[in-house]
Amino acid sequence: MKKLKFLIGVFTLAFLTSCSSDNAEIDTEYPVIDVSSSNAFPIQCSTIERGQTFTFKAVFNDNVALGSYSLDIHHNFDHHTHSTEVTSCEMEAVKSPVKPMLFINNYTIPDGVKNYEATAQITIPADVDPGDYHFMIRLTDKEGWQTLKGLSIKIL
Amino acid sequence: MKNALSIYWKYCFLLLSLLIAAEAVAQNQPSEKKPEVKELDEVIISNNAVEKRKKEESLNVETVNNSFIQRNLGGSLMQSLQKLPGIKTISIGSGGSKPLIRGLSFNQVIVVENGLKHEGQQWGADHGLEIDQYAVNRVEIIKGPSSFIYGSDAVGGAVNIKPLPLPSQNTFGGSVDITGKSNNAQFGSSINLFGRNENWFFDSRVTTMDYGDYRVPTDVVHVYSYAVPLYKNHLRNTAGKELDFHLSTGYSGENLKSVFYFSNVHTKSGFFANAHGLEPRNVDMELHDKSSRDVLMPYQEVNHLKVSNTTSFQFGNHAFETQIGFQNNFRREWSHYVNHGYMPPIYPEDMYAPKDLERQYDKNVWSFSAKDEFRINHHQITIGSNVVLQQNEIGGWSFLIPAFTQFNAGLFVYDKIELNEKWFLHGAVRYDYGKIKMKSYYDWFQSEISENNQTNLEYLQRSQDLTKTFDSFTWSIGANYNPGRLSLKANLGSSFRMPIAKELASNGVNYHYFRFEKGNPNLNAERSYQLDLGMEWKAQNFSFQLTPFANYFPNFIYLNPTSAHDIYYGAGNQVFEYEQSKVFRYGAELQTKYYFFKSLSAEIAAEYLYSEQKSGSKKGYTLPFSPPPSVLFGLNYEPQISFLKEPYFSVDYRITGKQNNIVPPEKKTAESHVFNLAFGSKLKAAKQDISISIQIQNLFNTRYLNHTSFYRLIELPEAGRNIIVSMKIPFLVSK
Repeated sequence: MKKLKFLIGVFTLAFLTSCSSDNAEIDTEYPVIDVSSSNAFPIQCSTIERGQTFTFKAVFNDNVALGSYSLDIHHNFDHHTHSTEVTSCEMEAVKSPVKPMLFINNYTIPDGVKNYEATAQITIPADVDPGDYHFMIRLTDKEGWQTLKGLSIKIL
Repeated sequence: MKNALSIYWKYCFLLLSLLIAAEAVAQNQPSEKKPEVKELDEVIISNNAVEKRKKEESLNVETVNNSFIQRNLGGSLMQSLQKLPGIKTISIGSGGSKPLIRGLSFNQVIVVENGLKHEGQQWGADHGLEIDQYAVNRVEIIKGPSSFIYGSDAVGGAVNIKPLPLPSQNTFGGSVDITGKSNNAQFGSSINLFGRNENWFFDSRVTTMDYGDYRVPTDVVHVYSYAVPLYKNHLRNTAGKELDFHLSTGYSGENLKSVFYFSNVHTKSGFFANAHGLEPRNVDMELHDKSSRDVLMPYQEVNHLKVSNTTSFQFGNHAFETQIGFQNNFRREWSHYVNHGYMPPIYPEDMYAPKDLERQYDKNVWSFSAKDEFRINHHQITIGSNVVLQQNEIGGWSFLIPAFTQFNAGLFVYDKIELNEKWFLHGAVRYDYGKIKMKSYYDWFQSEISENNQTNLEYLQRSQDLTKTFDSFTWSIGANYNPGRLSLKANLGSSFRMPIAKELASNGVNYHYFRFEKGNPNLNAERSYQLDLGMEWKAQNFSFQLTPFANYFPNFIYLNPTSAHDIYYGAGNQVFEYEQSKVFRYGAELQTKYYFFKSLSAEIAAEYLYSEQKSGSKKGYTLPFSPPPSVLFGLNYEPQISFLKEPYFSVDYRITGKQNNIVPPEKKTAESHVFNLAFGSKLKAAKQDISISIQIQNLFNTRYLNHTSFYRLIELPEAGRNIIVSMKIPFLVSK
């Protein structure tokens, strides 16, 4: 029995020591997309006219360093997408695409930046289908954490 | 990390106090525990054989039989084995799962059925293991590197599903299994027939399963930031069905045994409809919520066919065994066409693939192996070799991995030395050669390419013709020391894994996680070195087992989330790229059981795992799918009741710690407390005993997230309360 007690002691100790671990500081925070400022564009339910160029504006923040972002405008004629926002916008009836606008581009952010005011010029061709579209912002930080923002917009 | 640690300390403390308490009463309560007897009619394998195997094997082995599976029946085989410490699953809804042994899964864990290495599409998180759990009689799980026996891939461990024991001579009989589950309204049945004259036998089985959407204790889930309402707590479109056939037949004589195995497992199961494609989607809720039993798009259909023959014969001192096998895994993923990159918005009519066929994988595997086992004095030597040829075709309108062929061959020698009754030594070496040949693939649509202010339309090349060869030398040494009630073991071994097609050449969108995955053709074969220890104490009324391990990978293959986005085929999604990094892991499992009385016992099963990347772009981070520490407290009551045979009643309480140790894109998972209740008995009926098992899983309908679930990333909670009733009715027609 003594032997047993001893062994249990030894192994419990071994088990307990395995409880410890090192605490290297790692980044586990997501970057933040902020479209709440007064000059942010587009925001939920914004409208954009065909044949015009508009300026995308949003503020990005991260606790360590931002990575990059991509912008994506695709049609929502089939109502397949919904937004990440609480408020919903008025939608047109479901319809089939003929020449829907498709825009996808990625943008760099300077190295080591924590706060960044993003701006980008986007031209809407005059001959695309008007209607409900989805404006998607994907933002990463240096470590690969990603935040999405999906906005419902209308092209007139 | 602080909080997770403090919880863990709490567990450690609880454990310690229990051990002390256990010791205080350890001497006074003798209880004879007769070894559990498992039978297929008259073939009896007692637990002694399992005990012996454990004492003579230097790696950590857990063995469970079909009565364990029946008592703990989950939606799929691995879910039924989750009670074992160190064994977790990556669950894909309620009907599929893949093994996660000490935090490793995918191609780092192998599954062997009837001696044949199971080859499905195990590289994908959405591909469950195609094994019929009703056809499983005995499973042996090796928690540790077993490449020296099984070759490439067995880095993290092996799940070895043993062949069925042969029916006894001159019998004809069978059994019927019936299972019902409340949570997903599942009905399952499995019918078995077997027979044997003196030497010739057959054993056959048909299993069917049909289940609806599973229910979770919440009416809204957040897929990334998108709120998705649920109808009547049903996880939309997670229903499924399964139909399996098995037949084994052959001859068993004094010196020769030859068995043919045939099995076909077919499943069709839906994916959660709101989280598939390029982004979280709105779905036609009216259509989807009309019925909780229909399987609509997106869904997967998998068929796995296996045919093999195992022949063994005795020749003097030598026991030879040969095995020849063929497998076909055919998997299709159906989903509405969603154009991305420069795909046309309307699906072309003259396409090579049906409009809704998103992906298709067709794998053929031919394998041959031979081994010879013989004894020279104290040495029990096994020499073996195997050759495997794989052919993989792809289909569907989307691309993720290229078609490829693969060839593997290996040769090994294993020596087990029985020094005396107490000491066993083990040594093994193995050489492997592997070659993978990937085929080139061009997009079926043209993309706009801008060069020098000129825009051209081109068919882009997604993968190139690429051939890679790998070879590897692995070894393993170990020892067992069994002085009486105590048994100690130690093993040091290396393992290796050849990079797979996905890691070398993937170049497409993962529609489940909305990301763009990119292979890396420069990867080296993954190597692993692991030290395993084991300590077991077994007395009449008390048992204790501790199995710590430490593991080092100089070049772990890891899918690294980058900060970039792919704007062509990836439709603006984040790029994930394969990289290699140094990884250090350690952990332990603990199991202890104490009998207060002959009929009342308590058990504790705990596990802990720590992993850290020591180099590369995610230095300091853990590995994906790292299970948090957990402790399971169990209380079993097995009273003597005259009209019942072996009745049991048990309560399990599982505390799973927080997992704050994460790596992008994972999310921190809170701790959870889940209770399970199980009871059952055998009923005497004619010559055979009917056994009935009832389980109530997640007794309090607790809402919790499982860190290692396939659906964790999109925040889907685990199934709510689930009442499972299963019954096994054996019959014997003649004897």
